[in-house]
Amino acid sequence: MKIVGMDAVSKFYNGERALDNVSLEIEEGERIVILGPSGCGKTTILRLIAGFIAPDTGAISIAGELVSRDGRIFTPPERRNLGMVFQDLALWPHLSVKGNIEFGLKARGIPREERKRKIREVLDLVGMAGYADRKPAELSGGQQQRVALARALVLEPRALLMDEPLSSLDLELNIRLRKEILRLQEKLGFTMVYVTHDRDEAADMATRVVSMKQGRIEV
Amino acid sequence: MVRRLTLAFVVILLLVIGLLPVLSMFVKSVIADGRLSLAAYEGLLASVRQWTLMGHSMVLSSLVTALTVAVGVPLGILLGKTDLPWRRFFTLLFVVPLLIPPYIVAVSWFDLLGSEGLLAHVLGASATRTTARLLFGLPGCTAVLFSIFLPIPMMLTMIFLRTINPRLEEAGRLVAGWRGVMKEITIPLVLPGVLLSAMLVFLLSFGEFSVPNFLRYDVFPVESFTQFSAFYNFKAATAAAVPLAAVTLILLLAESAFLRERTYQLRPFPERERLPLIRLGTHRRWLFASAAIAGLVIVIVPLVVLVIQSAGIDAYAEALDRAGGSLLRSLAYAVAGATLLTFLGFFTGYLVQTKALRYWRSVDSLTIFLFALPSTVIGIGLISQWNTPWTNFIYGTPVIIILGYLAKYTALTSRISVTQLAQIPPSMEEAARVAGAGWFRRMAFIVAPLARRGLVAGWVVGYIFSLRDTGITMLVYPAGHETLPVRIFTLMANGSPQLIAALCMVMITATLLPAGIAWMVPAVLKRKVIG
Repeated sequence: MKIVGMDAVSKFYNGERALDNVSLEIEEGERIVILGPSGCGKTTILRLIAGFIAPDTGAISIAGELVSRDGRIFTPPERRNLGMVFQDLALWPHLSVKGNIEFGLKARGIPREERKRKIREVLDLVGMAGYADRKPAELSGGQQQRVALARALVLEPRALLMDEPLSSLDLELNIRLRKEILRLQEKLGFTMVYVTHDRDEAADMATRVVSMKQGRIEV
Repeated sequence: MVRRLTLAFVVILLLVIGLLPVLSMFVKSVIADGRLSLAAYEGLLASVRQWTLMGHSMVLSSLVTALTVAVGVPLGILLGKTDLPWRRFFTLLFVVPLLIPPYIVAVSWFDLLGSEGLLAHVLGASATRTTARLLFGLPGCTAVLFSIFLPIPMMLTMIFLRTINPRLEEAGRLVAGWRGVMKEITIPLVLPGVLLSAMLVFLLSFGEFSVPNFLRYDVFPVESFTQFSAFYNFKAATAAAVPLAAVTLILLLAESAFLRERTYQLRPFPERERLPLIRLGTHRRWLFASAAIAGLVIVIVPLVVLVIQSAGIDAYAEALDRAGGSLLRSLAYAVAGATLLTFLGFFTGYLVQTKALRYWRSVDSLTIFLFALPSTVIGIGLISQWNTPWTNFIYGTPVIIILGYLAKYTALTSRISVTQLAQIPPSMEEAARVAGAGWFRRMAFIVAPLARRGLVAGWVVGYIFSLRDTGITMLVYPAGHETLPVRIFTLMANGSPQLIAALCMVMITATLLPAGIAWMVPAVLKRKVIG
């Protein structure tokens, strides 16, 4: 099943073309890595899929449903059922680890007991049991990474978007977390759209690599 | 070494200008005939009237704070976070009352709702009996101060909204609508700003005396002012000023304990990235209409009333005839004050931002304490310190007015500098240092040019606040050196309403014109460059 479809998508910022007629299809369970240098439009693709911005021209569909086209957004981000791990993680500093994970569950109206169970399970999954009451600032970089992952996975998203999630970590931790992400992906089978500028990382993480340059997909 | 010496000099200057007067005032209030005496305080505490006045001040400040926060925070969110049309215009519009002397707003409402006001002329005196009664007293004072201080929670909410990393909201938007994101993420993140604004509004209302004085609501700061200016009882005036300073100190200590770490540095998110805006959709029209009606009632109506009241060339001719000298003096003092405030604020801001001296935090706290201190307290303090035969070259000249501006408003220019300097990477100055530039050269050719927007903004803010100052100037101005706000305030007792309105319009124009130019020039230049 096709999870994400981008059809002839272009995007401009202040008159400059950030994406140029990009078409891309992502199948269920696929681990696709978008590879390219800074400013080539990788993050723009993720933000278009997530629904934070609309394509100026072209169309985007999620699981067969048209979600945005030609400057208009039909389905807002919260109704696309996607997870995302941001480059700077974007953990909410005023909420605990539990609060960060629980926010989305609450927004979906999941009952209290079920929320508790899901939080426990996902923290176990990422090896962060026992850290539920800590604030993000009280965690190491690797631990914050795991919490960001847990927050995204707890809602069982159709696809997980990852925007250079390991770029701020040292190489050793980076490699360790790559393995953990792959372990989780194999266990849970989620579709993964992973953005990086690092060729080794791309080779490690991908079942398919899409290279980008100056807003275009290189064939 | 040069850096440390220069910054140490700035600190000493702040101590002499700001802290010493307050300490001198306190010491004089507890010494009588060369001995320690608490007689002034005993008299103060024993008086039922003083407690009543303190009660009035507390009630007034609490009401103003509650109202401004209740309206200002949603307004700040509406103007800073949504796609409401004309957001920039509304923001500027609502800020206007804060930029002009507070009593001018009271005068315009009096001209409209007073028993002989414009409304009475149109509807008859009986129709305005209730409005006139409400205007004088607690309701009128609350309403006028509300309109003046509304921009504080509004602007602080907008500023804090700009400091939120958009990713934090986007992470929420993946799973919840804007309502949920605002409730659980955005508002908790701007809460320190809301609390800070509440504290500022409380302290500014608490120290404000010109509006309660005009609208005849007896509050504590009026007592200190009256004791000095009407009875020339300096000891009683000083004793009455100390509780005001104490309340300020207590609130600032609370702020320091609970909020300071969270409000210390406001780093707006880079402008190149657009902040995510809430699309109002079908609510856009009625929210626009609500903002327009609020702006009309709070800002435009009082201004229009003054224009109508002052209509006719005669009123303006008389205004310039009777207060032309005061206007020129006001402009000269404001320009001098703004320029010195810009320098002092820049170096203080640099000290705070770079933590160049160990006691940088105390210096920052001192400037904020002085800003929050009621003007009457600073005025009495300055008199207490400088009114001696040896320092008459300061006390007997306009220098004393400028010192008052520096003591009270350095916090504003310093904060603006801190915010601006925080956005300059330390490597900029380091690169100049490696290239062999000394500290003054680095400041003059690297740091100051990079911070020029902050310097211009600081100058404009310094000019506006120096020009509108009434409380300090009223107490310290030497004979023959009264400023326009003081002149208007004294003429209010016996001048015609037309003359007062004309003077108020002159004052408003003198205040807002440079701000308007400073706002428009960069936009015009930018357009030319692009063109």
